[in-house]
Amino acid sequence: MSGRLDRIGLLAVPALGFLAVVYALPLAMLLAKSVQGPDGFSLAEYRAFFADEYNLRVLFRTLRVAALTTALAFVIAYPTAFAMSRAKGIWLTVFLVALVLPMSLGVVVKAFAWSILFRANGVLNSALMGLGLTERPVRMLFTETALVVGAANVFLPFMVLPIYSVIRQLDARLPEAAASLGATPWFRFTRVTLPLTLPGVVAGSAFVFSLAVSMYVIPSLIVGERQQNLSMLIARSFLFLRNEALGSTLAAILLAIAIAVVLGSGWAAARLGARR
Amino acid sequence: MAGMTSAAPGRHYLDVWGVAKSFRGTRVMSGMNFRMDRGELVSLLGPSGCGKTTLLRIIAGLMEADEGDVVLGGRNITRLPAHRRNISVVFQNYALFPHLTVAENVAFGLRARGTAKSACAGPVEEALRLVRMDAFATRPVSALSGGQQQRVAVARALVVQPDLLLLDEPFSALDRKLRETMQVELKALLRDRGITAIFVTHDQEEAMGVSDRIAVMNAGRIEQFADPSTLYARPATPFVMDFVGLSMRLGGRVVESGGQTCIVETAHGRISAPGGFAPGTAVQVGVRPELVAPGTGENTIRVELADAMVLGSKTVLHGAAQEGDRLICEMPGIRTGLARGDAVDLGWSVADTLIHEAAA
Repeated sequence: MSGRLDRIGLLAVPALGFLAVVYALPLAMLLAKSVQGPDGFSLAEYRAFFADEYNLRVLFRTLRVAALTTALAFVIAYPTAFAMSRAKGIWLTVFLVALVLPMSLGVVVKAFAWSILFRANGVLNSALMGLGLTERPVRMLFTETALVVGAANVFLPFMVLPIYSVIRQLDARLPEAAASLGATPWFRFTRVTLPLTLPGVVAGSAFVFSLAVSMYVIPSLIVGERQQNLSMLIARSFLFLRNEALGSTLAAILLAIAIAVVLGSGWAAARLGARR
Repeated sequence: MAGMTSAAPGRHYLDVWGVAKSFRGTRVMSGMNFRMDRGELVSLLGPSGCGKTTLLRIIAGLMEADEGDVVLGGRNITRLPAHRRNISVVFQNYALFPHLTVAENVAFGLRARGTAKSACAGPVEEALRLVRMDAFATRPVSALSGGQQQRVAVARALVVQPDLLLLDEPFSALDRKLRETMQVELKALLRDRGITAIFVTHDQEEAMGVSDRIAVMNAGRIEQFADPSTLYARPATPFVMDFVGLSMRLGGRVVESGGQTCIVETAHGRISAPGGFAPGTAVQVGVRPELVAPGTGENTIRVELADAMVLGSKTVLHGAAQEGDRLICEMPGIRTGLARGDAVDLGWSVADTLIHEAAA
């Protein structure tokens, strides 16, 4: 038996080789640069990074935007996933297509579509002024709000689908049992439905947060250089400043955040699932 | 039952009155009346799709009736949501909360009613002791066997002191031997505590074993509502005769009627039956198989054996019958010497003969 399993394990070899050559090796070389001083090993780049207040602001902004994006995506996705779990036949297809199809539309196209919506003489501002709610156009493009809304839009499927798959497996008898035991709708939701769907929320949040903390194209198109995030800083270090040491230090910090998110959500999911 | 809708609701402990329900435009139930007294154990028995689960869910408040009323203990609860009815449900799959321990599951109903956590411990422990699960209080429910899960589900349902307990196929997930043990245990527990309970089941032996009265349901109607012995000895309709227990069954036509008895012509000769059906009426005659014996009786038919099955506690003879008929005779203990192809006489008394007008 174990011999057979071993041979099945061999099927992973091509993927491992591919990842080793194309991903792990260059990444290791890049990270090595971040701790390479003139006289060998050095943490000077890291010290310099954390000493600069501007860098800290960028780091904080990156985390805040990712957190807000995750929160907004969750607020929209959770009820959507419930609606999807009740949908049947053609309606379920409509939901899935509406969710997946926009992913095939490039971010660039979407960003220009948003600018039609958000710009000073755009649809939203024309409507607001037409209604007399504001005298002057409200600045929307190039703001953090626009960035969060845009990013949540792009990453929404990554939040909806994991939650949807957990809700679909939820036994419909459980809320009914809770009701027959005297639980109000709110009590049922907070004590039964929400705890049992949390693993999906954790998975979706990990996806969206990881994507949002490292996004580059969306903030470049929506807020531009005005408010940089970590990825934009990395790109600038490599492309404009030609400072590989700085770029690889930033990359290492971004990687550390991503690893922390993955490990943290894995731990949370294991804790939530431990009692099953 | 349609003629009984004039009775005023509210005289019984539970009074389901004139209930109708449609799904996607299809009527599955109409004019349903169902009444029971406090402390009774009643079963809703019928094949799948007969409406028994629909009736249970309407009583529980998990489903809304299109028409009619549900009155419990003199209070009209028709429009009350499930969580305000004080009716507990034990589900077929028990529906225990997988993220909670055994004790937390049992405490759920108390917590939902605003009982402080510290005040739950006593009642929860007592409820768990009642079902002999107190040693498992801190276990996760996924670590329990089917029988243990059922006990926890019963404890969880009883700890809130419900006005009515509903059990939806509570034994169907258990294997046969465990099922019988649990039936005896649960019945004793409900009796001791004076619980009013409704079992939903498709298993006639289970229904007869656990309940004071059984409502046999078919196609959204109650065919007969009676105690188990009446149901078995005097089934009111061919459906009840067929669904509750086995029976010898012969289709035929009344050829002679003389007041108290009539004579029916069947594929196996003439049979006398009690009842005053007019000559020419298409009927179905039957008799319970253990009331039939080899040899001649007041009614006697000659059959060719299709099989003689020795089952240990009884021996069952099956006769070769035409489509729609069933020829069956049960004898206690082991009888040998009969085999397929033998011609035997089967006899029984006129008083034991059941007769119903054949379904159109």
